[in-house]
Amino acid sequence: MKDVQKLVRGKVPGPTTSIEVRKSICTICDPLTQCGLDLYVKDGKIIKLEGSKENPSNSGTLCVKGAANRQYIYNEDRIRTPLKRTGPRGSGKFEPISWDEALNTIADKFNEIKKQNGPESVAFFSGYTKYFRPYLKRLAHSFGSPNYLSESSTCANAMAMSQKLVFGLPGGPDLKNTNCLMVWSGNPFYTKPGTARAIIKGQERGMKLIVVDPRQTPTTARADLHLPVRPGTDGALALAMANVIINEKLYDQDFVANYSYGFEDYREYVQQFTPEKGEELTGVPSDQIIQAARMYASVKPAAILPSASAIVHHTNGVQNYRAVFSLAGLTGNYDIVGGNLSVPQSFAHAPGLIPTKEEEFRQSRPWSEMVPRIGTDRFPVWVEMIDEEAQAMHLPDQIRSGEPYPLKALIGFGMNYRMWPDSMDLLESLDKLELFVNVDLFMTDTCKYADIVLPACSSVERSELRCYPMGYIIFTQPAIQPLYNSRSDVDIIYELADRLGLNDPLFQAGYEASVDWILEPSGITVAELKKHPGGMFVPNPMKLREKKYLNGGFKTPSGKMEFKSKVLEKYEGKFGFKALPVYTPPKYSRESTPELAQEYPFILNTGSRLPMFIHTRTFRLTWTMSLRPNHPAADISPVDAARLGLKQDDIIRISTPKDAIVVKANLTQMVQPGVIHMYHGHPEANVNLLLEGDYLDPLSGFPGFKSTLCKVEKI
Amino acid sequence: MEKAIYLEIDLCSGCGACAVACMDQNDIFPEKGQSALRRIYQIEEGEFPSASIQYVSAACLHCQDSPCVIGCPTGAISKSNRTGAVIVEKELCIGCHSCSLACPFGVPRYDLDEKMQKCNLCMERVEASLEPACVRVCPMNALKFESVNKVQREKELKFAGNIVNAVHKTAGHTTK
Repeated sequence: MKDVQKLVRGKVPGPTTSIEVRKSICTICDPLTQCGLDLYVKDGKIIKLEGSKENPSNSGTLCVKGAANRQYIYNEDRIRTPLKRTGPRGSGKFEPISWDEALNTIADKFNEIKKQNGPESVAFFSGYTKYFRPYLKRLAHSFGSPNYLSESSTCANAMAMSQKLVFGLPGGPDLKNTNCLMVWSGNPFYTKPGTARAIIKGQERGMKLIVVDPRQTPTTARADLHLPVRPGTDGALALAMANVIINEKLYDQDFVANYSYGFEDYREYVQQFTPEKGEELTGVPSDQIIQAARMYASVKPAAILPSASAIVHHTNGVQNYRAVFSLAGLTGNYDIVGGNLSVPQSFAHAPGLIPTKEEEFRQSRPWSEMVPRIGTDRFPVWVEMIDEEAQAMHLPDQIRSGEPYPLKALIGFGMNYRMWPDSMDLLESLDKLELFVNVDLFMTDTCKYADIVLPACSSVERSELRCYPMGYIIFTQPAIQPLYNSRSDVDIIYELADRLGLNDPLFQAGYEASVDWILEPSGITVAELKKHPGGMFVPNPMKLREKKYLNGGFKTPSGKMEFKSKVLEKYEGKFGFKALPVYTPPKYSRESTPELAQEYPFILNTGSRLPMFIHTRTFRLTWTMSLRPNHPAADISPVDAARLGLKQDDIIRISTPKDAIVVKANLTQMVQPGVIHMYHGHPEANVNLLLEGDYLDPLSGFPGFKSTLCKVEKI
Repeated sequence: MEKAIYLEIDLCSGCGACAVACMDQNDIFPEKGQSALRRIYQIEEGEFPSASIQYVSAACLHCQDSPCVIGCPTGAISKSNRTGAVIVEKELCIGCHSCSLACPFGVPRYDLDEKMQKCNLCMERVEASLEPACVRVCPMNALKFESVNKVQREKELKFAGNIVNAVHKTAGHTTK
């Protein structure tokens, strides 16, 4: 074979092969990752990709999902043109229309609804990704609607809420400097390889690792202590640890005396959670609870690595995580170097060590000049603690009831109806809308219910701003032109703003001018960023300070770290919320509903991560699917399988009183006996159908995805 | 043979990034019935919560004394002097499966054209001073492409460091 042919076959870039390496980022998962991509482009087409070495988020590597980007970008399900529905909802019958017709139809309808019902009757929803969220939120508010919603209604927000109730400002683990990391509960080896690499580095310098996880994972395999908690009992485990820390006087007495509120009541409350009681409630042996408590409290500094959603996907989630984060206060590990350090966010939920005007940009109209967001009466703590958006779980009830005002139109960017428990209820409620628009890359089942579908492009076809926690920043440029007749989400938002006739100077100035405006306090400009297609380190990174509470106190009602929440105290009467981080078992559990547990003896835990999937975003790709060929399959302990007479890949029915799904059995020792793990969002086996629409944490509105009761039968 | 692919097994999390990067590099599409050249195995022993769960990323080991090379009746398989890669010349392969009988590791797979296909060490990339695709992608840096004996030397050095640390600790002081 000739040398040139060999180089082409090996996809070696250079002038000989006319293969050019162009820069972009991966946004299949989001945020705080956004790995840099080196795209091998030949004749305008990507023929291969790998991680950018200069991007500190990934240093040349990629995760399994990111490595599959080519099949994501060139997927045959990509929507090719704007579409108007011609058949019944769900039929998938559409006719192509022009961008002009699509955008004008949407803008005219929105303005008509605004005139007749008020701007609040139009809602704006964001699924993945997150880069366009500030612009979409601004679009909603500049239009006059308070109803900007997102998938963060089931992700991250409740974790942040739990921390805010305790500390006022959330604090992330200072991985570089901590000497004891308590991962509660997550598996970064599947979800955040950068964090996993930091854990390995930490261990090399002697960092202790405690991992709370109902599964055995690559993270638990590296742990000094793995606490194999029963799903939904994390609060009891944290309270039992507090019991040990307090009674053995391992807590930070100076911090507790001077900077906390409600300690005496908390101390009294945790007395009932002896290590033995903890073992009974959580399944974690009492000696391990004692060891973990001693290790976390005595190795300084210690940090807690929370996950966005694992703990708050329980009907008792916020209280459980409050109990966990209270440990950081109790041991004086909040907002210190090597502990849980509060770091300001720069853009799209990511810290970037630069000041920006993002918050001002996205809140183009103050809440006080708009009517209350949907769900305000039902989830008052949400409204008080989550400044950004409305709780989207309320959407079906809101559409149906029309109270306190009707919802008439909804535009979703990457909306997936399977995100809602009792998903069909949400889907059917959409029928009541006068206009439902969905913007997506792929013709999803949700798109099939839309009146108008708009084709979005992928990250490598657009331009987006991203900040990274290590003080890195990128404003990407399209590596290839948008495929077919697709456009970037931001272009769609700015086009809509124009056609809605919004009197908004920044929408009128355009996208790049808006980015310049947002970045203005940092001194970084779009022009400068364009000179660094692979991104750059920010010139003057903010110095992170610890113990910011020393000046001006905590951003809580008491001005102190709150073992007893003054926010929740207000709702004790009407809503029955408890000011202490009390433990109550999951709504459906052996403890709460023993009769139900007789017939439905298994705990059903949905959505715990598999390495090759992030939600449903890589289901379409044969590369990722080939790594889990029996998908949809539920993970079940071989111990349970033996009892039920199940072999690998046997067909099983998982049912709750609500509904049932049929999947394969995947036997693995990764899961504990008595718990079934089922990945979410599968088109033929949507596990969220097994949950009732109101199976929610009343504090946050988050669904109890990770603990309900089910039974399993071989069929 | 200058360099070889090493798997640091304790770092492998079985994520499959290497398998996907290999399919991207070699244009392998499972929907067409093509087989991956690099595959992931999860080996479990014992019971939760103290089961041993290990992951292995496996592909051709490019043996120094390759049974498949000896076993091939048409001389389609050879070992490159420059890169050490064991490579198949498809034009010469007759699809007789002798190599699969000879290979102790179960590596050879047969493509849609019935001819043998396996990892070629990303030979073209390696000759252009680039890492094999699987090594480049590995998010845990569990896969390494290193000079022969270098990985062992590093492992040995680390072990030596641990011994020194242990000795210092028993003597009452630690090294960082």
